[in-house]
Amino acid sequence: MGRLTRTHVIEAVIFLLVVVIFYAFSFEFNQPIEIYRFGATAWPRVVIGLLLIATLGNIWFQYKNGSAAQGTIGQSDDEADFSEPGTILRMFAVLLTPFLFAWLLKPVGIYFSAPFFIAAIIWLFGERRWKAILVMTFVIYVLFIGLFLVILNAPLPQGNTSPFYDFSAWVLTMNAKLQGL
Amino acid sequence: MIENFLAGTSALFGDPFTIGIFVFGVIGGMLFGAIPGVSMLTLAAILLPFTAGLEPAQGVMLFAVIYCTGTYGGAITAILFNIPGAPENAPTAFDGYPMTQKGQSGKAVGAAVLCSAIGGVASALVMMAATEPLANWAIRNIGPPEIFALVFFGLAVASSVGARTIWKGWMSVLIGLLIATIGQDPVGGINRYNFGLTDLAAGIAFVPAILGFFAVSEIFVQAEKKASGKYKAPKVSMSFPSFLELWMHKIAVLRSIVVGFFCGILPGIGATLAAFMSYGEAVRWSKNQEEFGKGKLEGVISAETANNAATGAAMIPLLALGLPGGALTAMMVAVFQMHDLQPGPLVFMMSPDLIWIVFAAMFYANLSILIIGLVETKTILNLLKIPFQFLAPLILILATVGAYISRGLVLDVMVMFLAGIIGYLLRRSGFSIPGIVLGLILGKIGEQNFAQGLQMVHYDLGTYFSRPICAVLIFAGVLTLATSIYRAFTTTQKSV
Repeated sequence: MGRLTRTHVIEAVIFLLVVVIFYAFSFEFNQPIEIYRFGATAWPRVVIGLLLIATLGNIWFQYKNGSAAQGTIGQSDDEADFSEPGTILRMFAVLLTPFLFAWLLKPVGIYFSAPFFIAAIIWLFGERRWKAILVMTFVIYVLFIGLFLVILNAPLPQGNTSPFYDFSAWVLTMNAKLQGL
Repeated sequence: MIENFLAGTSALFGDPFTIGIFVFGVIGGMLFGAIPGVSMLTLAAILLPFTAGLEPAQGVMLFAVIYCTGTYGGAITAILFNIPGAPENAPTAFDGYPMTQKGQSGKAVGAAVLCSAIGGVASALVMMAATEPLANWAIRNIGPPEIFALVFFGLAVASSVGARTIWKGWMSVLIGLLIATIGQDPVGGINRYNFGLTDLAAGIAFVPAILGFFAVSEIFVQAEKKASGKYKAPKVSMSFPSFLELWMHKIAVLRSIVVGFFCGILPGIGATLAAFMSYGEAVRWSKNQEEFGKGKLEGVISAETANNAATGAAMIPLLALGLPGGALTAMMVAVFQMHDLQPGPLVFMMSPDLIWIVFAAMFYANLSILIIGLVETKTILNLLKIPFQFLAPLILILATVGAYISRGLVLDVMVMFLAGIIGYLLRRSGFSIPGIVLGLILGKIGEQNFAQGLQMVHYDLGTYFSRPICAVLIFAGVLTLATSIYRAFTTTQKSV
């Protein structure tokens, strides 16, 4: 195994999977283009081929040098420390919460879901004083509404299920009344 | 030229409503560029329908002003939070953010203000003096082979910055190129990799992907540091760079103006590649290459001068040929079309007033960067004092709006958060996010111009080398790649 670690192997497997999947799917659009000799597959397949070479080179480098850096410019120093199970759990929640929020945008709308999302993120970032969470949630929500609804009238997702849709409609009506003053 | 410029100035400042639009554009562009999570594109997308009610000159001028000030504004978030406001500000973060971590944020922002203004004003002056001859030169000398060669050179440079190893730098760029193949192919319009989803036929939208890779992934990185107790609040500093410090970089500024202007003039290339190439050239010509990426002022200066120098140049293909150089200039075409106008050579004859109001507005917008930038910098630096647990939800909610607003699709918000997670995992493994984004942006342009170039030269690749500009760019790209291949097999710096 040389200086390869489990993380290196997982990383290599993921990239090789990407190569295999994209190569396999390239047969779905393998049609000639009358005006272009190389067709629609040539460019993606060259990229896939180069990615395969770079992935193999990366494995070779990690086999010889482990996680050593090569001193490229502006290299990332974002090193993870997942020794604590609590850290893993919290990161999992941090990664999942925005997805849940995005998924709720269609049925619930942004006007109703935003305050809960804001409060959840503040909490997940380690704030435990409930007064601070409430005040900052309110401030951020007001900023968001003020900028995008009151000033810019931006069309945002309103939700499509009751009572969330009704709530969005109420917010928009209030804004229209405010504009009319 | 001077008479026309004065006429444009008096038209711009002679009408209070036009002044109001100009001021709104200056402040709006700067603000949306400087707020992490949204960008000048968000503001432009929101404002586009409203421009129908404006005079054509006012509408185009508003977008031109937002383009100038928004390009500068994006540097602030890049420097303070490692979240580039737009892809063209990504190289600014390479040295700007380490400077913030070292307590030199004031110096970095001050340099960005000054160099953005210098690059923008120089570019505006050249644009005013030589739009038509430069456009004619570009028509005669720049074709698909040259644009492909420049993309190749730019990607070769980008692959050597931002990743932990050279191998990972290449993998980052190639992943970006692979993502860019999703959607219709640029030659025959055949659907590729849409996996049965009709929404993917148009490809991955740039704005959500860029927001995800830059802004959301940075939030996740900071969340991880918070969770593991490694988070360090950035240090606030109000010290500006001295005149002597800036004077020492005069060559870098001049070089960046030339690089920025050359990249900006090419349709489809624009400010992003300009910033990357200018940064790459700064490294190449430096005697202290190892200091780049660790908080070197020259890195900020090179990237910020070049991306603003590209804004004026990008107006040349737009106004003279009707070819937009990026997302914002494409929106300007839409503004023209809303008023039954078509940008191109005829505009110079039919609407010279419009052209000179836009030129004058861009000149003054770049000057405003200097004035407003220096005044507001100290206020903006106070953003660093906001605890990150309160800044993170604000950034995420703004990014959600930014991703949604351009196409009105919740799918784009999903794409943004997915890009955020992928970006976070790739960053943890030492891959380069700017490399991925540049690959994503330039992938389709590169493929399209490669195919068109081959058709043009009847599939005779040798012809590429008989075109001087193309040959020089390919040679420079090959040289960059060869150096990087040599380093990939020979260099090992430190164990992590």
